[in-house]
Amino acid sequence: MRHPGDGLLRRLLDEPDGVADNDRSHIDDCPACLSRLSEVSRDAADIENALRFDVNVDTDDAWSRLLAATAGEAPRPVRQRRHLKRTPVVAVVGVLALLGGASAAAAGNWFQIFRTEQVTPITIPQADLVRLPELEEFGTMRVESRPAIHDVDDARAAREATGLASPRVTDLPAGVTGQPRFLVGDRVVGVFTFDRAKAEKALGRPVPEPPAGLATTEFRLTAGPGLAAVWPGNSGAPALLVGRVVAPKGFSNGIPFETARDYLLALPGLPQSLSSQLKAFTNEGGTLPLIVNEGSETSFTTGVGKAPATVLSTEGGAVSIVFWVQDGFINAVGGSLSTDEVLRVAGGIRWAAQ
Amino acid sequence: MPASVRSDLEHIFRAAYPKVVGVAARVLGSRDEAEDVAQETFLAFGRTSIPAGEALGWLCVAAAHTALNHRRSGRRRATREEAASVPAGVAPDVAETVVARDEHQRVRAALSRLPRKQAVALVLRHSGLSYAEVAAALDLSPASVGTTVRRAESALREELNRDASSR
Repeated sequence: MRHPGDGLLRRLLDEPDGVADNDRSHIDDCPACLSRLSEVSRDAADIENALRFDVNVDTDDAWSRLLAATAGEAPRPVRQRRHLKRTPVVAVVGVLALLGGASAAAAGNWFQIFRTEQVTPITIPQADLVRLPELEEFGTMRVESRPAIHDVDDARAAREATGLASPRVTDLPAGVTGQPRFLVGDRVVGVFTFDRAKAEKALGRPVPEPPAGLATTEFRLTAGPGLAAVWPGNSGAPALLVGRVVAPKGFSNGIPFETARDYLLALPGLPQSLSSQLKAFTNEGGTLPLIVNEGSETSFTTGVGKAPATVLSTEGGAVSIVFWVQDGFINAVGGSLSTDEVLRVAGGIRWAAQ
Repeated sequence: MPASVRSDLEHIFRAAYPKVVGVAARVLGSRDEAEDVAQETFLAFGRTSIPAGEALGWLCVAAAHTALNHRRSGRRRATREEAASVPAGVAPDVAETVVARDEHQRVRAALSRLPRKQAVALVLRHSGLSYAEVAAALDLSPASVGTTVRRAESALREELNRDASSR
């Protein structure tokens, strides 16, 4: 019999009746499982002790406070106002990536609403980056196909696996040597559906009435396949990475993009400054939002060949990466390099179809 | 009470308030902040039509998310209550109190760095919700609750060990 997983051992501690008899018998007679159970039990006890915080509450007094709050014209935070506590930025950015560019939509059951034609950085303060509910907390994200990124033997195998041209770099930056390894990833397909109850749960408050049809609209995002050549560095991080991926495309089978976008942007907690930025870039359509961490990364725009490009670098310039979109591909060159070095590599790449 | 507020609010409030405060307190390590979070959560709940039978799970999940959002935002109040937030039974020695308080907040900081679903499942389970209640509240299968909680405990222990080794 297979050894039960850690999850079942954990449940045995709390709800032994929820564990099947044959599993319990196995654990009782299996020294390996008993040893694991002991470890699971020790961790559970330690964490219980660490998290314990006994609180005595005065429910009558608390009810009076709630009554006073509900009697006001608008709900007020009980002790002090904390504005912008919840910022569903990632969710909104994620959904906008699905929705963006609907003005160019064509009719059809699944009409394409998003084609990436340029990359636009959005600067978001670090504080907003770390308090973001995740997209799945605003609805259902069903991943129909995963990238399954894996190594292949060489450039030819990468081309055959993806149908894409592979990069050739003849003028490697100083300190980058040897042959690259090649990685490939399959096409990704995800389907997002907004769920009001989940959004309210994530935000901890009611949300405005969604536009008719939002709940039944499916937004489908596809991206990939992609490939990358990676030269290893001394630190374990790549010294140089050169890759491309078929640009994301978004489809909707329901309500217009503008309607959904305006609703999502109006969800409580979204900073006004960010809201304005998002509106500005999505009105043009066809841009891929790249979130830049304001505290530790810098960005500027330039060109690679004839394509507009966005360059990001960490504070101090230890790691740099350039993105550009051309002919339906998002291309990237990055590594433990300066911005000048990644731009020089990007400008010298030849894409070999065979 | 305004007509827009659900009529069964008081009944649900009195039954669930201590539990909801307990959920938030495990995340925040502060009674006052936990009560603020609970009040906000009930205010929001009062304007929903969540079925009464699902209220406890909804309230606990909403309180956990709201508390984690507070925690992650770093917008926490340094109140006199934090000085008193050391669990009962800790020696009154000042140095020990400081160490215990530091440890207390270190645990909460590590908790807030866990993946959100793991953190919420962990807090709900340690607040006394059953596997079935956690599963229903988080849209998990009951069988996967143990796995999620175990991963969260393991990850939290690693976070704490990593944190301790870097100090």
